[in-house]
Amino acid sequence: MTRQEIAEIVIKTTARELKLNASDIKETDSFAMELGADSLKSIELVAAFEEEFGLSVVEEEALKVQSVGSAIDFFEAIINKK
Amino acid sequence: MRTYELQDVSQPNLVEDIFPYSLPPLIKFEGKIQETIDGKIVEFDPNEVKTRDIHITDTTFRDGQQARPPYKKEQMVKLFEMLSRLGGPNGVIRQSEFFLYTKNDRETIDACRNLNVKFPEITGWIRANKGDFRLVKEMGLKETGMLTSSSDYHIFHKQNQTRKQAMDQYVEVVEAALEAGIRPRCHLEDITRADLPGFVFPFVQKLERLTENQPDNMKVKIRLCDTMGFGLSYPNAAEPRSIPKLIWRLRNECGISPDRLEWHGHNDFHKVHINGASAWIYGLNALNGTLFGLGERCGNPPLEGAIIEYIALKGSLSGINLSVITEMVEYYEKVIGTHLAPNYPFVGKDFNTTRAGIHAGGLRKFEQIYNIFDTTTLLNRPPRVSITDKSGTDGVALWVNDFLGLKGEERLSVMKVAKIQRWVMDQYEIEGRMSSITDEELEEQVKLTLPDYYAKYRSN
Repeated sequence: MTRQEIAEIVIKTTARELKLNASDIKETDSFAMELGADSLKSIELVAAFEEEFGLSVVEEEALKVQSVGSAIDFFEAIINKK
Repeated sequence: MRTYELQDVSQPNLVEDIFPYSLPPLIKFEGKIQETIDGKIVEFDPNEVKTRDIHITDTTFRDGQQARPPYKKEQMVKLFEMLSRLGGPNGVIRQSEFFLYTKNDRETIDACRNLNVKFPEITGWIRANKGDFRLVKEMGLKETGMLTSSSDYHIFHKQNQTRKQAMDQYVEVVEAALEAGIRPRCHLEDITRADLPGFVFPFVQKLERLTENQPDNMKVKIRLCDTMGFGLSYPNAAEPRSIPKLIWRLRNECGISPDRLEWHGHNDFHKVHINGASAWIYGLNALNGTLFGLGERCGNPPLEGAIIEYIALKGSLSGINLSVITEMVEYYEKVIGTHLAPNYPFVGKDFNTTRAGIHAGGLRKFEQIYNIFDTTTLLNRPPRVSITDKSGTDGVALWVNDFLGLKGEERLSVMKVAKIQRWVMDQYEIEGRMSSITDEELEEQVKLTLPDYYAKYRSN
């Protein structure tokens, strides 16, 4: 899976879960600050990423991810390691 | 001023010499306690408690029963058997006292005796009335407590006596006990409100003279009854409320040895447990208590609290079987029908249940952060979480993992239970709920959102 494909899934999923327009979401956006995800929403977002990518992630590491760009990097690293 | 430098260690210091987790936290002392008596400093060595034969005496069936409807005979026998197992073969729960006045009282003593347990030993309780010795003798008891009220509140306003009349009456009863070969235990009622030098000490010295030629097992015992909970453990508190001064004078001025001194407290000022424990530390051996502190008005020293204190002071279980405490509370709730406050220490339904999400998060990561000791092994009570809008996804994860019995790597992450947490929050934010989520509701959510896990771990 290319970084571009992963980025599309991350942005589409983020838009659906946070009820936003995908076109408004930038890689530099922080989930909490710019996109308004509270702690439960952040967990639900990671759960949704797990479903979309069909994998389970380590909770402590996943919840450290703050921005859209770092989420893309995080999943790219996991998927390409498989 | 001393400067402290940060020690940025690689391994945590969990202070395990005091918090071993396999036992309740230990109590250690680092020096002597000073008390001013008659203008002079006297010292108490609190470490002496570690070698002295401190123990617990039980009054669940006497004072404990004065505050509630009577127990049935079979209930008392069952509780007595459990007390025996709780205190263990070394007699940490050394004695248990019983009323003798009704047929039910006497039949209960016979039934308890038929259990053939070494501890607790059965003792009686009578009013200071010579005729009542017939009951003690008939039951073949070796020791009995007797009411010997010591404050002028009681002597003047309840008994309508002078101090001399009261003392003469008490002495007469003690003499009758000795004559009958029964060890007297004088319950000095209301002692923390009494004129100590004017009545209590002369009376105790008189008792000492009466039994000075008796063998050790017949020497008079003194129970210090803090009837209204006025006693104070604070260093340098004034008499008659001072527990340290009272014990010091009885030992040093009246010659009563620690094995013949007993503390009996009441909880009217929330001091009941610490006063009892302090009495141990200040030099007497017997702490009198009742199961769950049930007793007259606000209650007596809770026996299970004393047991935990004993372990903390001695640094070992000494034969105590703590899990019996959990059996006892179940018996009270299911058979006797007495329900304890959910937050009651060591036994209440929620004593180790957290509702705060931040605490649940800590518990999930490292149980010892928010559990007082290994309650699973010692009390058969694993720490639990109660789910509300404040318990967070960590709380739900903890509950679900415990419910499914998942441990270590198997445990589900917060992501796996996020749907349940969303349902929980909706109950409060959308439905306006005000109560905790029940275990049954959570089970239903596990079935719905984690059907594979439910099928694998619960559907048998």
